[in-house]
Amino acid sequence: MTSRLLSPLPSNLRIRLTLWYVAVLAVLLFVYAALVFAFQYVVLTRQIVHDEIQDAGTVEGLLFFDQQGRLQLRQDYYSRPQTHLLIDRLMEVRDLSGDILYRSPTLNGMPLGGPNRSGEGDTSFDERIVRLQDGSHVLLVSHIHSLQGRTLLIRLGYNLAPLRQRMIQFLLLLLVAVPVALTLAGIAGNTVARRALRPLERMAARAEGITAGNLGSRLDIANPNDELGHLARVFNHLLDRLEQAFAQLHRFTADAAHELRTPLAALRTIGEVALEKGQDSEEYREALGSILEESARLNETISGLLMLARAETTQPADQQSVFNPAELIDEVLSLLDVVIEERNVTVLQEGKAAGQASVRAARALLRVAILNVLHNALKFSPNGSTLSVAYVQSEDPAVLTIAFQDQGPGIAPGEHRRVFERFFTSSARGTASESGTGLGLSVAKLVIDRVGGEIWFDEEVPEGARCIITLPTCK
Amino acid sequence: MVPIRSKILIIEDDRKLSAALVSGVESAGYEVVAAGSAEEGFFMVHSQRPDLLLLDLTLPQRNGLDILRQIRKEGLDVRVLILTSHNAIEDRVEGLRTGADDYLGKPFSFPELLARIDALLRRFLPPSPAAPLTIGDLTIDTRTRTASRGGERLDLTPREFDLLLYLAENHGRTVSREMLAKDVWRETSRFTPIDNVIDVQVARLRRKVDDRFAVKLLQTVRGLGFSLREHQP
Repeated sequence: MTSRLLSPLPSNLRIRLTLWYVAVLAVLLFVYAALVFAFQYVVLTRQIVHDEIQDAGTVEGLLFFDQQGRLQLRQDYYSRPQTHLLIDRLMEVRDLSGDILYRSPTLNGMPLGGPNRSGEGDTSFDERIVRLQDGSHVLLVSHIHSLQGRTLLIRLGYNLAPLRQRMIQFLLLLLVAVPVALTLAGIAGNTVARRALRPLERMAARAEGITAGNLGSRLDIANPNDELGHLARVFNHLLDRLEQAFAQLHRFTADAAHELRTPLAALRTIGEVALEKGQDSEEYREALGSILEESARLNETISGLLMLARAETTQPADQQSVFNPAELIDEVLSLLDVVIEERNVTVLQEGKAAGQASVRAARALLRVAILNVLHNALKFSPNGSTLSVAYVQSEDPAVLTIAFQDQGPGIAPGEHRRVFERFFTSSARGTASESGTGLGLSVAKLVIDRVGGEIWFDEEVPEGARCIITLPTCK
Repeated sequence: MVPIRSKILIIEDDRKLSAALVSGVESAGYEVVAAGSAEEGFFMVHSQRPDLLLLDLTLPQRNGLDILRQIRKEGLDVRVLILTSHNAIEDRVEGLRTGADDYLGKPFSFPELLARIDALLRRFLPPSPAAPLTIGDLTIDTRTRTASRGGERLDLTPREFDLLLYLAENHGRTVSREMLAKDVWRETSRFTPIDNVIDVQVARLRRKVDDRFAVKLLQTVRGLGFSLREHQP
């Protein structure tokens, strides 16, 4: 609770979005209001100055000196109702020495502006703001005017109080309107955010219901092209992979249990039969030997399973080195040399120049993979046949292709992929004594997949089996 | 043959395995005592003063490595051979670092265990490299890397010579495929078709060594491995 209170942002994405939205809008509105306010003030002030200049022109025509030489404003002026605004006008007329010749009654005897300034009203209207004795501000223009041979300085101003009052009203209006607008925007933003996030909530609820038991369930994709659709698609792909992995694991566990049970059953039966009927130490010897062989097979299967687990968890970067695949194959062939000779098999290597590329991989694992593939090919090679290893530089210079072609019985139709399945033993091919753990090609495939290469059996070959491995090469 | 009866303590909680080990190691001429738990084993290390300890790592209550650590801390003079089903390289490294002298993964072949025990107790000193080995009428010269039988030189490949030499060095005893894979082929991974290669290689060697002679020296011990000896067991 405390952390929630202390956290700078609410954890709810919807509220966070709304707050951001409102905050940005508030900044924009305040900047906008300030600009409008300033603009309005400037425009109105300009307008007042403009009016004052016009007034000054009007007033010039109304001034006259009476018989006593006093300056007067023509009184019939007031009879025009459309000029009643001039009542608000403050006016003072001086001569150039600074003596007051006329002062409008609206000034109540207060001076309008200070002493004469040099050149005041001579070439411009010299608009400025002055403060009267009663504290009110006046926007003032000055103008030099000649009347009946005398030079007059006319000062004419409007009290700014009404303008300022109106501007304050305007400001108050803005201050009230902005929060109202922000509140409305916040509500709208919240609603929009909730709507936009609703599919996400539905996805979350759906995803929450997915467990190892019902991995088949998928998220609905409303619109595959928008961001949420993309998320749902990615999530569904993840579920696909998970489901596959789970199915594989499940099948694998079942297969492994079966594969471990078979040698166990053999162990048990051999032991039981020997005890039942055996009197003869030679028979016991035979049974015990057989039991040891089975236990060796069992151990090999477990080693294979561990090897698979290791290859599966190997990160691509683990224990990698750069090496020459042709050298690795030579090494494996020399290990298998004795088997090759024994079976009278001729090994032909073609295009070895292409095999001089470099491969980056976990060498020990790749060696096991190649060893399994080659041993598998040898296992099915008839006596006196040929096994060819061909290196082909693919069109893509970054890929090296190696083809292993034997002259054995080949692979039964439809089993070209299944031979890589764990514990797969073909019905058509191989005999019980020939088959190993049934994991060799699975290990090879897993390792080569991990390296970023591919392995498959060519379905097009007319005779024998042709295993093709591609490996990504590096410079 | 056995100048001093070396004493071996086996700490192993699996009773069947323990009983089989006791019987097997005893018949190889050692004095054997066994403990079924870490505490009992630790007590017996002090009371029995064994020369060699066969130590299982996964014991109830207390880990085998703990015992090993304590033994090393106390500076007791005892060789330690770890037996465990944790066969990963990291486990081996940890075991050896803690102070084990050797490490054998379960399931191990019994001939290999005996060979390791012998090596640790140095009962069988390796023959001096210059002296030719003889088994019956078979002579192996390690200096020239040649072998002959009945005065006739055998035409062996380097691998066949290594194999024959290894069998000869262990003559009279059985050598398992695991031992050959490790010591002759230097193959670290157990999951390879190496056993098939070994079988073929041994068959070829047998043809060269035994085919023309009445006495068969190279024998296959079913389920165990191979043995080079003059007489049938």
